[in-house]
Amino acid sequence: MIELVEVTKRFGPKMAVDRLSLHVRAGELVAFLGPNGAGKTTTIKIICGLLNPTSGTVRIANHDVTRDGRDARHLLSYVPDQPYLYEKLTGREFLQFVIDMYGIEPALCARRAGELIELFEMESYVDELTESYSHGMKQRVVFAAALLRDPQVLVVDEPMVGLDPKSARLVKDLLRSRASAGAAVFMSTHTLDVAEQVADRIAIVDRGRLVSCGTLAELQATTQMQGPLEELFLRITGETDEA
Amino acid sequence: MSNVVAAIAEHEMREPARRPLTEARVFARLRRRLLRNHVSSWLSKSRLRLFLLVIFSVLFWFLLFVLFFEGFFFIGKYLPVGNDLIGSLFSLFFMSLLVMLVFSTGLILYSSLFKSSEAAFLLTTPACSDQIFAFKFQEALAFSSWGFLLLGSPMMTAYGINRLAPPWFYLMFFCCFLAFIFIPGSIGAVATMLIVNYFPRRRRQIAALAGLAVLLGATWWGVHLVRKSPGEVLSETWLDALLARLRFSRGPLWPSRWMSEGLTAAASGDWFTSLFYFCVILANAAFLYVVATVVASLVYRQAYSNSQGSRSGRLPQSWYWLDRWFSRVFFFTNASIRLLVLKDIRTFRRDPVQWSQFLIFFGLLTLYFLSIRRLSYDLNSIYWRNLVSFLNLTVTALILSTFTTRFVFPMVSLEGRKFWILGLLPLHRDHILWGKFAFAAGGALISSELLVVLSDAMLRLDWSIILLHTMTVLILCMGLAGISVGLGARLPSLHEDDPSKIAAGFGGTLNLVVSMLYILVIVVLLALPCHLYFAGLDSQRQGLVIWTEAEFRSWLAVSVALAVAIGYAATVIPMKIGARAFRELEA
Repeated sequence: MIELVEVTKRFGPKMAVDRLSLHVRAGELVAFLGPNGAGKTTTIKIICGLLNPTSGTVRIANHDVTRDGRDARHLLSYVPDQPYLYEKLTGREFLQFVIDMYGIEPALCARRAGELIELFEMESYVDELTESYSHGMKQRVVFAAALLRDPQVLVVDEPMVGLDPKSARLVKDLLRSRASAGAAVFMSTHTLDVAEQVADRIAIVDRGRLVSCGTLAELQATTQMQGPLEELFLRITGETDEA
Repeated sequence: MSNVVAAIAEHEMREPARRPLTEARVFARLRRRLLRNHVSSWLSKSRLRLFLLVIFSVLFWFLLFVLFFEGFFFIGKYLPVGNDLIGSLFSLFFMSLLVMLVFSTGLILYSSLFKSSEAAFLLTTPACSDQIFAFKFQEALAFSSWGFLLLGSPMMTAYGINRLAPPWFYLMFFCCFLAFIFIPGSIGAVATMLIVNYFPRRRRQIAALAGLAVLLGATWWGVHLVRKSPGEVLSETWLDALLARLRFSRGPLWPSRWMSEGLTAAASGDWFTSLFYFCVILANAAFLYVVATVVASLVYRQAYSNSQGSRSGRLPQSWYWLDRWFSRVFFFTNASIRLLVLKDIRTFRRDPVQWSQFLIFFGLLTLYFLSIRRLSYDLNSIYWRNLVSFLNLTVTALILSTFTTRFVFPMVSLEGRKFWILGLLPLHRDHILWGKFAFAAGGALISSELLVVLSDAMLRLDWSIILLHTMTVLILCMGLAGISVGLGARLPSLHEDDPSKIAAGFGGTLNLVVSMLYILVIVVLLALPCHLYFAGLDSQRQGLVIWTEAEFRSWLAVSVALAVAIGYAATVIPMKIGARAFRELEA
């Protein structure tokens, strides 16, 4: 579903992403980890079509993001780390805008929107202007908007930022259920516990290069360590530093 | 599973035939909702603000209307080439409008298409690039041109009443204006997208250089025009020469000419000519708009990607001497205020948009003041020299007021998302505001005093007049800084990232109007005694003496005292109002 082939992104002399190849299959949840400045957000922006790669190819369900970007974006939902909402729209109006934009069948969407509003417990504020929302409230609306149309590909950047424990649990369950329903879920996070709990595979990137990718057991085997993901992560990124 | 996905993808690929219309409707619906919610939000939360906006706009409109009405009346009654002159002046006005709208729409679009979070959000949706562009373009055009409608409508109403124009003239003006703004707007949009796409690392410098080139060209032409026009001012030969110089703006390919011809024809009831020029404007506007949307569909995404790709490198250390020098010279001031001023100085010098505009306008004024002797102004009587010196001072202050509106007023608003940093600092919130005041007043004072002293020196004015002018500038700078910082804190737009939008909003407009009124009051107060006294001296040969020197000194002392009192009030009252609002600010 998400296929990155030898993707490179340069910002002038700086190499942000270096020949990164990765495949996220349908029904799989991949956690994308890495230290600050490792190239996680750049990679996500390339997948979503916000940045064009300097070289290499990104495909979403066989659609080249650069050439068939529109078709690719039609299949993809993106939840950024800093949620954007129109401040002079209510949460419900924002959801309606997303429904209109993706041309989803109104009756189906009305039902789905109602379910998501209930699921994320947004009834008390969904008809207020979003300018009055807290970060967590905004994040819930953005998640609801992303899940409105059951996307085939879900890209999430730092999903747990600003969410209370209950919402965080809900998001973890939703990400997992989306993957179980056949979607490809690609999640960037610094919360290693979350990655450990929900991810099928874990990809670790450092200085733009994919340094490790596999299930937790595979990573443990590679590093010959039996500890938690935190220990593995520090070992893997530490080894890169030493190199 | 892959079959299901392929089926979905195939369905999506079949859909695009009807999408453009759907997307346009989706954006139109979004625009309507945003507008409706904005209006209801204003009506429920900011009635006073809305009331003030309407009152100030109406007052400003009528003031301009009276000025234009008198001007058209004078031209029509006393000048032999009145119609030609009005045609040329309209062409010149719309040509200036054309140039200014190219830059202002381009700058606003740069922020909305390449810097805003909204652009990033929209680009991740399946919306076409040209639809996103069209949505943001309409917004940028409205922001950049509403002020010109406020300026142009009293002018055209005054002209229409003077010429006893038919009622449809006013409708024609509105339609022509609406179509006309698409021409510079589209040019600005295309230029912005191409510059960002092909020169992502030098985009600001290129925009600043283009602005400088246009302004230098305009100044060269202005000086050339004044120097080469022969004869007495307003004499027939002078007017003929002036018309000959203005003829360039009436070239048949200039949109300014189409506007001028269409509107003068409409005023005289010639509907056929008027309609013809309206169609010419509309056709060109539509063509350029289509060009802009095609460019957007071809390059916008790539340009966005390029603009995000350019990062600032390590900053050179060479400018740090300025910070050290500043800290040493102002060692006696409050350390926290000094640090805040230093932060604003660094922001100013690292933002080419700010310093380039500052350099362009004040550089041009310097060039003009340096050429005063070449224009032989210094050889005129003391009456004329005094008049010119006050006019120069007024122009300097008016330009300064546009800078305080554009760059100082938005300063508090721009702290919005970073406000927690300032809010948590171990210092009184008033200090933050006074730090901004010190930065604005200090910068304004240094530049304006230098300019006004230069102008006075070139006019060979007496030291006592120079002293009076430096004091006037001091009062003006303090007041303008106080008004901008105070109102900026009282009427902040904490959720807006774009300073040009903050300046173009209600608060910025109010700030500009109040600043201009303040300049008017102070300059009239101090210039009037000098003007009357020197006018009397100039007319002594005809036996007309308005004031003796003793009377002049007494009146001047009263004026100075009043100006100081008003200046003090204009500095302290807005700052106090702003400080009170700033103390209660929660962001």
